[in-house]
Order: sequence, then structure tokens, then C-alpha cells
Amino acid sequence: MNSFLKIFSLLKGIDRRYIFLLIGVAVIMPLIFPLGLPLGVTQPSLDLYDKVESLKEGSVVLLTFDYYPSTLPETEPMSYAALRQLFRKNIKVVTVTTIPLGALSVMENVVKNVAREYDKKYGTDYVNLGFKYGYQAVLLGMGRRIEDIFPMDAYNNKLETLPLMQRVKNYKDIDFIFIVSDNATVDYWVSLVNAQFGTPMGAGVTAVMAPKCYSYLQTRQMVGLLGGMKGAAEYEKLTSNPGRAMLGMDSQSIIHFAIIFFVVLGNLGYFATRKKEVSK
Amino acid sequence: MSWEFFGTTLAAFFTLSLYSFLYKDNPFYKLAEHIFAGISAGYYVGLIWHSVIKQQLWTPLFNERQYLLIIPGILGLLMFTRFFSKVSWLSRFSLAFVVGNTAGISLIRQLHGMVLPQVRSTFLNVATFSGIVMVLGVVSTLIYFYFSKEHKGAFGFVAKIGIWFIMVSFGASFGYTVMARVSLLIGRAQFLLTNWLHIIK
Repeated sequence: MNSFLKIFSLLKGIDRRYIFLLIGVAVIMPLIFPLGLPLGVTQPSLDLYDKVESLKEGSVVLLTFDYYPSTLPETEPMSYAALRQLFRKNIKVVTVTTIPLGALSVMENVVKNVAREYDKKYGTDYVNLGFKYGYQAVLLGMGRRIEDIFPMDAYNNKLETLPLMQRVKNYKDIDFIFIVSDNATVDYWVSLVNAQFGTPMGAGVTAVMAPKCYSYLQTRQMVGLLGGMKGAAEYEKLTSNPGRAMLGMDSQSIIHFAIIFFVVLGNLGYFATRKKEVSK
Repeated sequence: MSWEFFGTTLAAFFTLSLYSFLYKDNPFYKLAEHIFAGISAGYYVGLIWHSVIKQQLWTPLFNERQYLLIIPGILGLLMFTRFFSKVSWLSRFSLAFVVGNTAGISLIRQLHGMVLPQVRSTFLNVATFSGIVMVLGVVSTLIYFYFSKEHKGAFGFVAKIGIWFIMVSFGASFGYTVMARVSLLIGRAQFLLTNWLHIIK
């Protein structure tokens, strides 16, 4: 028992930088040497996938890029997977962002890359509305008339000159809203747009936001949900587009095992040393 | 050396500089931190000028003659009176508009979009096991936050059940937060190994 306590006393004094180093190695090694750990698909991800699959060819989907570059590892793979699924099904896509910092260039990059893969034509198959400041007014205003809020698209074309936008005037002309977000705008999409205009929607959000967003599934304000890198990896798997999220899941699993191990070890050490201190 | 390689190397340098803080505070970390803060501030100034002042006020007002925009324009300018103590009271008109407007939108949004759907769906599947757990969780958590009666006896017991539900919720949030932070680290590691060092494809 004494040697057991000695180990815990030693561990208590360990420099935390060794733990940082261990975590770093645990992240890097599975990226270089993938383990191919199994990846299950959760029901909310499957529901979102099925909903998009059920849309008919020629339907219109509003895809949002409401995220900052700081959360790209979680959100960008969702955008790629979603856009590939939409273009594969020949669904018309309107993209928009309510985030000022960097989202516009991320959106342009993702849309251009995927459109090139599927040979989609700008203005007919997809339109990029770009960014507009003040998301509450933007979300509400788009329900009345999109052209009032975005007279021009992201490339300064008048909306009336774009064939797709001649039949998409407001939320009534949009069949589904696919939100990818890392912040509270997802709440506004649900409570302003879904509640007032009834447009069906689903979301891919960062892991930090996922617990809160689960409540929107229960109320059926959302049809499906992707939570964090795991959700992104699930969507990549469902759409048969393995990408960076699936690649990162081995590291994610290893790190979670390591953290659980440290939490258990830390608690055992705490209780063991506390018992000793109390008996003193 | 191509511009793309230069940009990627610069990004890698700043990534490593920021992570160097895990070892200890150092000049590389400080440099990266200050450059990030400076660039963000500059970017925001440019963005506000272009997408708010120019795009939503100046161009429609002077090119498209939408003269009603003079009112929000004046309200915006009044906000700057806060810097002059003698006329700072004028900014209250703008603030009153913002507060009133936000309160009006939020009230409807919260009630219509959040509270009512949540209350309704809480009691939708009350006959199922998960429905019972849901109702128990909601009621006991609400009781825990009711502080006008002492948490004793049966009332205290239900409040304690509420604490358990809150703890489970905190645990779920913590687990997801860990996953989120690890994802960001994985993202940076992927960038360094793929885009910069080309070790993985």
C-alpha cells in the first residue's frame, strides 16, 4: 500500500508539460499511422442524411457557413460533405454566411472546389450570397424578400440576373436549410426562421454547441444534427467522402482514452492521498 | 520559393509559436498573439467600413437616394457623443432604440421559438420511459432553482434529483468540450503534417 501511495505522490508532482507532450504524440502518431478504428453513425446524423436524400432533384437548399476559421477542423468537413451530397443529387444550392471574420473566403473556397468536382455552373446550379452584417435583421429580412437584404451576390452580380435567384425569392422557395455553425446563430435560425416561417432545417455544429442543440431535435425544430468532428466524420462516412474528419477520428479516440485514464488516475490519487492526509 | 509555400510556412510558424506557450511564456508566443490581435482589429475596421457604412448607408443614401436612411445614420452618429461629456446624453436616444428593438425581437423569439416548443415537446411522449425521465428532469431541475422555499423534506429530495440531472448535463457538456478542443489540436496537427511538411496526404 505504501508503494502505491508513493507512486501517486510522485505522479502528483509530475511536470504537466510531460502530459502535453504525451497528448501531442497521441494526436500525431495516429495521423501518420492510421489505426482504422471503427466509426459508428448516430441517429441524428442519419436523420439529417436521410432528409437531404429525400429531397427531389432541382430542390433548393440554403447552406450556411456560419463559422470562424478557428473551428475549421470541426465545421469545414461538414460543409464539404454536405455540398458534395447536394451536388451529387443535383440540388440547387444557395450559400450564405452571417460571420464577418474569414467565413466569406472559406465559403468561396469550399463552394468553388466542390462545384468544380461536380461540374456545376454558377448562377444556375448554385449562388453565393456572401456576407451581410447584422444577422437578426438578415435572417428576418430574407423571409420577406432575399433581394432586399442581398441586392448583389458575393461577386457583385445583381440577383435578378442570376437564373436560380429568379425563382428563389424568400424562405417559401427554399426546401431545406442546412446550417453549419460554431456560434449562437444556430439558435436564431431555429427561433426566428423555423419558428416564424416553418422552413425545415438541420445543422452541423461544433462539439461545444451540440448538447444545447439536441433539444431542437426533441422539439422537431431540427430534423438532424451533426456534433463536432465526430458528426463531421459520420457525415463523411454516410456520403462516402472520407476526408479530414474521418482521418482525425483515430487521434480523437486515442486522446479520449488517455484523458479517461488520467481522470481515473487523478481521482484515485486524490482519494488515496486524502485518506492518508486525514489519518495523519 | 512560391508565395503559397511562404504563406503556409508563415502559418506554421505562428501555429508553433502559439503552442510554444505550453512550454513557457516566450517572445514568439507574444509576437504571434500581438500580430493576431492587431490583424483582427484592422480587419474588423475595414469590414465595418465596407459592409456597414459604405454598403448599407453611404451607397444607398447618396447613390440610390434612400433618404430614410438619414435617421439611422444620425442615430449612429449620436452614439459617438458618449466621448463628449456635455452632450453624452444624446447617445441615449440611439441606445433606447437599440434596447427597445432588441427586447422586442428577443421577447417574441424566446417565447415563440424557444420556450413554447420546449414546453410542448416535454410532455409529448410522457407515456414512454424516456418521456418520464424528461418530465422528471425538467420538474426536478426547476424545483432546484426555486429558492423561495427551503430545500427540505420531499421538496429537498426532488431538488437533489434535480442536482443529479444538472450534473449529468455538465458532464455531457464537458465531454463535448474536450472533444471540441482536441479537434482543434488535430486540425492544427493535420495542417502541419499535410500542408506544410507533406508527411501525410
